[in-house]
Amino acid sequence: MSFIGFVIGVVAIVSGVCVVGLRNPLYSAFALVTNLLAMAGLYAALDAHFLAVSQVVVYAGAIMVLVLFVLMLLNLKSESGRKLGFIRSAVALVIGCVVLLSALPPVFARFAGMSEVTVSDNARDSEGTVKAIGQELYTKYVAQFELSSLVLLIGVVGAVMLSKRRSVTLQPRAGGLVGGSK
Amino acid sequence: MNSVLTYVALSMALFVIGAIGVCLRRNAIVVFMCIEMMLNAVNLAFVAFSKLHGNLDGQIAVFFVMVIAAAESAIGLAIILSVFRSVASVETTDAGELKW
Repeated sequence: MSFIGFVIGVVAIVSGVCVVGLRNPLYSAFALVTNLLAMAGLYAALDAHFLAVSQVVVYAGAIMVLVLFVLMLLNLKSESGRKLGFIRSAVALVIGCVVLLSALPPVFARFAGMSEVTVSDNARDSEGTVKAIGQELYTKYVAQFELSSLVLLIGVVGAVMLSKRRSVTLQPRAGGLVGGSK
Repeated sequence: MNSVLTYVALSMALFVIGAIGVCLRRNAIVVFMCIEMMLNAVNLAFVAFSKLHGNLDGQIAVFFVMVIAAAESAIGLAIILSVFRSVASVETTDAGELKW
């Protein structure tokens, strides 16, 4: 990993911790934007140029705009009343570290012997240019590509159905749960 | 140790951070963002192994994961919105009742 890759990796880790740790959901969202952009940089460092661009456009552009839109729409206060809880955080941190440290050695033992050069004799095959990705996508994976467009269509229809307002007035939560459904 | 494994280690770290966030946070939108982060961590592992093996299959998998993530974000946010309409909150602890 080059020096710039190391820096981008540190940015990704720090912004990921910020997503989890910051109280205000809006700050978490902006930390996630930083994280996604750092991931795009890592993709570019791994020669996946098309994925780097689509990461910026799809994730950091479209999906995060949607998330921020919902955040602004709901007009949430930061969860000030509820603390994360020191003990809960400590337990989660310990479990996370244990999982990470127990999962790393097997992976490293499995793949440490392989170097990129011996595995891929022709390194240019793995370069994810738009041309190469498109050729794979429209020849080998064309059925899956069409299916994915169907999934997107179902997603659009489902989102419209879910967020359609059925003549329901928003009632604030007072005492019990007042049903708004008709 | 080759450099691709460093990326795999990074992706594992990001995945664990996202999983901790899913367990710890109560705001449904933050949980949603942590899930996005976990998806991205897996994507990074896909790209790293695609580089290691010298073919494009991993990158194609990442492409499909992105498609699914886009559909998932549209539906997930719509679900969060409709839950907010009925309980007037996005805290996961407030949406505990199965029926009301």
